[in-house]
Amino acid sequence: MPAVVLGTHPFANLGRTAAQALGRPHLPLVVVAHPIGGVASAAVAGRAEAIVDDVIAALTRDPAPPATSAGAGAAVLTAPDDLDAFQEFALAQGWGDGLPVLPPTPERVRRILAERRGADVVATLPPRQGVATLEAVAANAALAGAGPEHLPVIVAAVRAVTDARFNLEAIQTTTHPCTPLVIVNGPIARRLGVSGGANALGQGHRANAVIGRALRLTLQNVGGASPGLVDRATLGHAGKFTYCLAENEAESPWEPLHVERGFPAGTSCLTVCGSEAPHNVNDHGSTSADGVLCALAGTAATTGSNNIYLGGEPLVLLGPEHARTIAASGWSKRDLKRAFWERARVRLGAFGPENVERFATIDPARFRQRAPDDTVALALTLDDVMVVVAGGPGKHSAIIPTFGATRSVTVRIEE
Amino acid sequence: MDVATPLGTMVVAVKPLARRRSHLAGCRIGVLDNSKPNADVLLGRVADLLVARAGAGEVRRWRKPGASRPAANLDEIAAAVDVVLTGSAD
Repeated sequence: MPAVVLGTHPFANLGRTAAQALGRPHLPLVVVAHPIGGVASAAVAGRAEAIVDDVIAALTRDPAPPATSAGAGAAVLTAPDDLDAFQEFALAQGWGDGLPVLPPTPERVRRILAERRGADVVATLPPRQGVATLEAVAANAALAGAGPEHLPVIVAAVRAVTDARFNLEAIQTTTHPCTPLVIVNGPIARRLGVSGGANALGQGHRANAVIGRALRLTLQNVGGASPGLVDRATLGHAGKFTYCLAENEAESPWEPLHVERGFPAGTSCLTVCGSEAPHNVNDHGSTSADGVLCALAGTAATTGSNNIYLGGEPLVLLGPEHARTIAASGWSKRDLKRAFWERARVRLGAFGPENVERFATIDPARFRQRAPDDTVALALTLDDVMVVVAGGPGKHSAIIPTFGATRSVTVRIEE
Repeated sequence: MDVATPLGTMVVAVKPLARRRSHLAGCRIGVLDNSKPNADVLLGRVADLLVARAGAGEVRRWRKPGASRPAANLDEIAAAVDVVLTGSAD
């Protein structure tokens, strides 16, 4: 059936990329002045007047079919020998992230692949529907500075984010700042040096840095989510350079995340979550679980979270000292989830009325015809609250809101 | 030096678009609102103008519960109308 897509100018590239990925680059896209949101209805109606002739044309004239396109260009390119000049080359190609990259020479890619077949397909990545072969993932691992030992984790992360439940196409293109956070469990974390301890989400841990960076570059380069063009993040966050840590299983009083999800304790797994930057929780005073929950719930219960109206799984990244305090009160991990779900709630009166109305069109059961003093939880059920122990000494934890329209995915790491 | 492409491969065969009629007279217009703010206003006003200026017939409206996932009822929409207006992103 004939269709026409309306989009505002800043999102036109995204619309064209999506149409191309569907094999219909000639699908009509009528561009409207930006923004549409936050504009009075009368003005929006005026924009409709301005484009209706283009819409009529799009629905009554067959566009000329484009030339058939195949392939993504040459498999091997000639780049400058000089490493400094290579940085300019990589930026011009759109391959990098702004930090220095290592050239993905055939020798470097072969070393990273080791005995694996480069032509094997790992996944197809939206929105461009680029095919991530092992060789392509290895090339991005090379750019990121990763070694052959990191490839199994990177490959597992690429597979995990392409699980339909993760909703990768939305996460690649949204205006929300989310990016996959990779949480590693099991023996591979210690063997590779993936830190779950002090400054685990900061700088200084090579495995954390290169694994997260290789995933991001693969998603950008193979998936086509170029920043500012197809990746529409309004602000983004620094985790889009790299966002990877291990769970601090040694210092957790409870079962680790992968065991909670049904994997045997001795297996190496990872979980991907479409995540914002961490919001720190400073609690130096509490000596009981109830006390720490005040700090956790209060930090989490904000009016700016996607989780409030889109559901999903908010993440509590608990520092080991806070975890010990909570466990010393006799709480299980599920007790913690229940208390967080019950107490991290936002008054409807705290939101502007236009947002309550907008939330009500998306989730009428939770938002329509409610009183200002009614509250809403950050997750639809207590089991949607994720709890992971990570970090070093100190009285800090973190709340990580997520994109909402995404589910975290846990996979085994195949070596 | 030679470097391997980090872009992977991509083979997308171009698929045909639905044939357009030369006019919209009597066409049933479908509006698929992507739930972004004012998408209903913009798409709805365009649909109303298609009726007023191009002689289109009735307008039927659907809304996705959010912009982040594909609509689940595309077959239903395709069966009920002759052309569709939809929005992408903001």
